[in-house]
Amino acid sequence: MNAPGMILDASASPLPQPRTVDVCVIGSGAGGATAAWELARAGRDVLVLEEGGDFPKGRLTERENEMYDQLYVDRGARTTSDLSVTVMQGRTLGGGTVINACDVVPIPDGVLRFWQRRHGLTDFSPEALAPYRERALADLSASVPDEDRLNVNNKLLRAGATALGWRGEVMHHNRVGCAGVGECMIGCPVGAKRNARAVAIPGALAAGARVVTRARVTRIDDAAAEVKTLRVRRLDARGYHEQGDEAVVRAKTVVLAANAVGSAALLLRSGIGNAHVGRHLSLQPQLPLSARFDREVRSFRGIPQLYAVTEFEETAHPEHGLWGFRIEPIGVTPGVYASTLSFMGADGKAMMQAWPNLACALLLTFDDPIGTVRVEPSGRLRIDYALADGQRVNLRAAIKAGARAYLAAGAREVYVPVAPPVVLRSEADLTAVDRIDFRPATAPLISAHQQGTVRFAASERDGGADPDGQVYGTRGVYVFDSSGFPSSSSSHTMTPIMTVSRYLTERLLARSA
Amino acid sequence: MKPLVVSVDFGSLSRRRFLKYGLSAAAFVTMGGVGSMLALRGRAPDVDGLRVLTAHEYRTLARLAEAIFPAGGAFPLGAADLDLARAFDAFLADEPPWNVEDLRRALVLLEFGPVVFERRLATFSHLDADERLAHFTRWTVADSVLRRQAAAALRTFLVTRFYDRPEAWAHVGYEGPLVNVSG
Repeated sequence: MNAPGMILDASASPLPQPRTVDVCVIGSGAGGATAAWELARAGRDVLVLEEGGDFPKGRLTERENEMYDQLYVDRGARTTSDLSVTVMQGRTLGGGTVINACDVVPIPDGVLRFWQRRHGLTDFSPEALAPYRERALADLSASVPDEDRLNVNNKLLRAGATALGWRGEVMHHNRVGCAGVGECMIGCPVGAKRNARAVAIPGALAAGARVVTRARVTRIDDAAAEVKTLRVRRLDARGYHEQGDEAVVRAKTVVLAANAVGSAALLLRSGIGNAHVGRHLSLQPQLPLSARFDREVRSFRGIPQLYAVTEFEETAHPEHGLWGFRIEPIGVTPGVYASTLSFMGADGKAMMQAWPNLACALLLTFDDPIGTVRVEPSGRLRIDYALADGQRVNLRAAIKAGARAYLAAGAREVYVPVAPPVVLRSEADLTAVDRIDFRPATAPLISAHQQGTVRFAASERDGGADPDGQVYGTRGVYVFDSSGFPSSSSSHTMTPIMTVSRYLTERLLARSA
Repeated sequence: MKPLVVSVDFGSLSRRRFLKYGLSAAAFVTMGGVGSMLALRGRAPDVDGLRVLTAHEYRTLARLAEAIFPAGGAFPLGAADLDLARAFDAFLADEPPWNVEDLRRALVLLEFGPVVFERRLATFSHLDADERLAHFTRWTVADSVLRRQAAAALRTFLVTRFYDRPEAWAHVGYEGPLVNVSG
């Protein structure tokens, strides 16, 4: 049994000694924290390196610019290379679980069977993963919220969908003691999220893991050797700049869990892996949709996202696995909300003055893994993702469905945030949606669920990592995050990542035993 | 070892595309004369304490902010009350060099946009507020992906900064933070 570990802030202190460990885990979100916990419980000497800072509830200020700056990669401003999609990714202790909407949606069985059939992941059966899914739900204290926790924003979308006879559900969530502040996307100031920061990280610490924040791994060397060498730079207190000399950590096993973009980028910078690394990126683009009601909505207070229209979601599509789209209410802070509207000048101010009466939803569309992550010679990260024609069709169908639901619920106007803005006042107006072309930088598309880039495959010809998560061409370098998912795992990736990370960690431990 | 800084793609406008447009602009400038172009731009007032932006770049962004958030209308608060251009300057000070370069070029291109793209005899900062908004709105739907990208990047920054300011909250029905985190 290891002695309890600790959290060290590398912006203020050198990395701890000794720096040769059994396992170095890179990233502390759903995948990294879960793996670190299990590995430490099994007696391994575990070091977790996290690029972000530690933001427990007392440091979550509810100020959006400050929090997006500190809790998200690239200060909340990472985008695809053509500025079409804003790529939201956590960069804090606990990773994306700190800044997500707490939606608990496991991998559908149809998706797992698709992975088995299409990608040769024969061991990823629903039956094999069931115990790990249950463990993830337990870690998350997952529950279905009571009816009185649905705010007006959620109820309006449900009313519209119900009037149209559409299927929908109140999702499980991982909040306990929620005060309804409504600012989940910039961290819960009352600590109600049962996330990686609240559960797995304390568990890992209690089992002896050491955690270092503000530590950026810039390169992994000797990936095929028994002991790998990791180059690490300390960041300053705000996480903006590297400081001090390079540090070195040596580890027998490396677990990458830095998100589908971050994990692939580190492998590419290190010259590790085959030609599949960086390819097959799925972004699940989401488009915000707003609607004006005569009554007060106040989407920004209460639980932001609970209800989901699932009528148009297919969980066992023969060609794509997960396909179609979902519609889910959302509430955010004023600056981010205003950025999703395309009105400017006096019209823009008038629209924001009406914010309390505006409902808002995200149209979450499933995609094929068509994107790529690259690192340019300058060191600049590049994410390329061009909307496929089928994706445009999917987005237009989602806009029409969302607008129909809001109009059925009594909305006076529905706003599609494209340039130029599209305003829909009746079903007869929906034909205007067919003319939206989604040219780059004309619609505020968002990605909150990046997947792929080091996909698991039974053969090196088909993917970047084997079904155990080991990166092809390495000896003991693993990806235990959404990088490995060969297609969209779920509409919300926290639970799938926790499930797969624990499954692969136990397989790793079983082999090494 | 070369430092490896994670990329910031906000305002990701590739050097090649900028070069292409820069050359077009340069040809135009040559035809019209550099002196004429600079004369049209005029001299921006000095601004103390800027960390990255020049006075000209500061003025361009300030004029854009005032066009997007004019005083009056639905509520009195406007961008002129908040100095969002200085917030942009502070933001850039901690950005990777490629982002700083791209966003500064975007401001230069916007300043000369009316001359280069619409053959007007006034640069952006010298248009009246309505003309500035109309010109910028045309960037959001331009055939040129570069102009759309520049518009998206600059607008996103200004909008998120404007409504994060406590002075704006009461006008949009927002109470601000509910939990006393300092306690």
